[in-house]
Amino acid sequence: MSKENTSAPLEYRTHENEMKIFGFWVFLGAEIVLFATLFSVYFALADRTGTGPTGKEIFEMPPVLIETFVLLTSSFLIGLGVHAMRIGRKKAMMVFYIITLLLGLVFLGVEINEFLTYIHDGATITTSAFMSALMTLLGTHGAHVTFGFLWGSAILIQIKRHGLNAKTANKAFIFSLYWHFLDVVWIFIFSFVYLKGVL
Amino acid sequence: MKELFPKEHVLGFVGSLLLTLAALTVIMFKGMSNGLAMTILLITAAAQALVQLILFMHIGETDDKKSLYVTIIYAVVVGLITVFGTLLAMVWGY
Repeated sequence: MSKENTSAPLEYRTHENEMKIFGFWVFLGAEIVLFATLFSVYFALADRTGTGPTGKEIFEMPPVLIETFVLLTSSFLIGLGVHAMRIGRKKAMMVFYIITLLLGLVFLGVEINEFLTYIHDGATITTSAFMSALMTLLGTHGAHVTFGFLWGSAILIQIKRHGLNAKTANKAFIFSLYWHFLDVVWIFIFSFVYLKGVL
Repeated sequence: MKELFPKEHVLGFVGSLLLTLAALTVIMFKGMSNGLAMTILLITAAAQALVQLILFMHIGETDDKKSLYVTIIYAVVVGLITVFGTLLAMVWGY
């Protein structure tokens, strides 16, 4: 795309913006590898439960299903947010982003409750290699969601103050990539930690 | 209102819900073999990732899409080598 390409969406319109989006994809590549290493550790240690509980004993599907549908819906909504941004509907875009972030909070609430339940049942991060690997993997994803909530809130404040321009649109778009990526990671946790764990 | 809900996003969302339900069949039907269950999970998870990448993240919408494909495919290959290398050496016992 050329420097002054006005047919491109707002977030792509300067060369710097294009480079920022490209750079963020490269970052997501690194994130894919980060989570691959954490999944590897989890798979290697999943049966090393020692005297602690096994996954089958502690995993509860109802909260996990809530987490899954909440994240899937939030990922859909932030996609709608980007679409609204592209057709210049700032208010609709902000509403979609706000609901997205609120669903992120619901997800975190359910996950924190899950961690507290484990700890209450005597399964902490030091209980067994399985619990260490599990809590590291879930915790890293949860930390990403927490950071995403703060980051997304900051971007919403900027859009409220400065409106939609090449800069704020670029930030909002990059944030949407991050949020979709977290949903992808969750799908793998849902499939290969929880579903595989209760088979 | 309608212009706020583009078709590809709605279809992508419905698709991701259906894929989640498909993944759930592995725990709904008792006595499914482990191999079949893992195959279903691998297919549904990969399909979910593609729905997000293509329909929601629009990975193919710009002129630098080839660079994006190379970046993401390279990362996925490194990730798969890490995961399956670990499984080979430390879980499956080769």
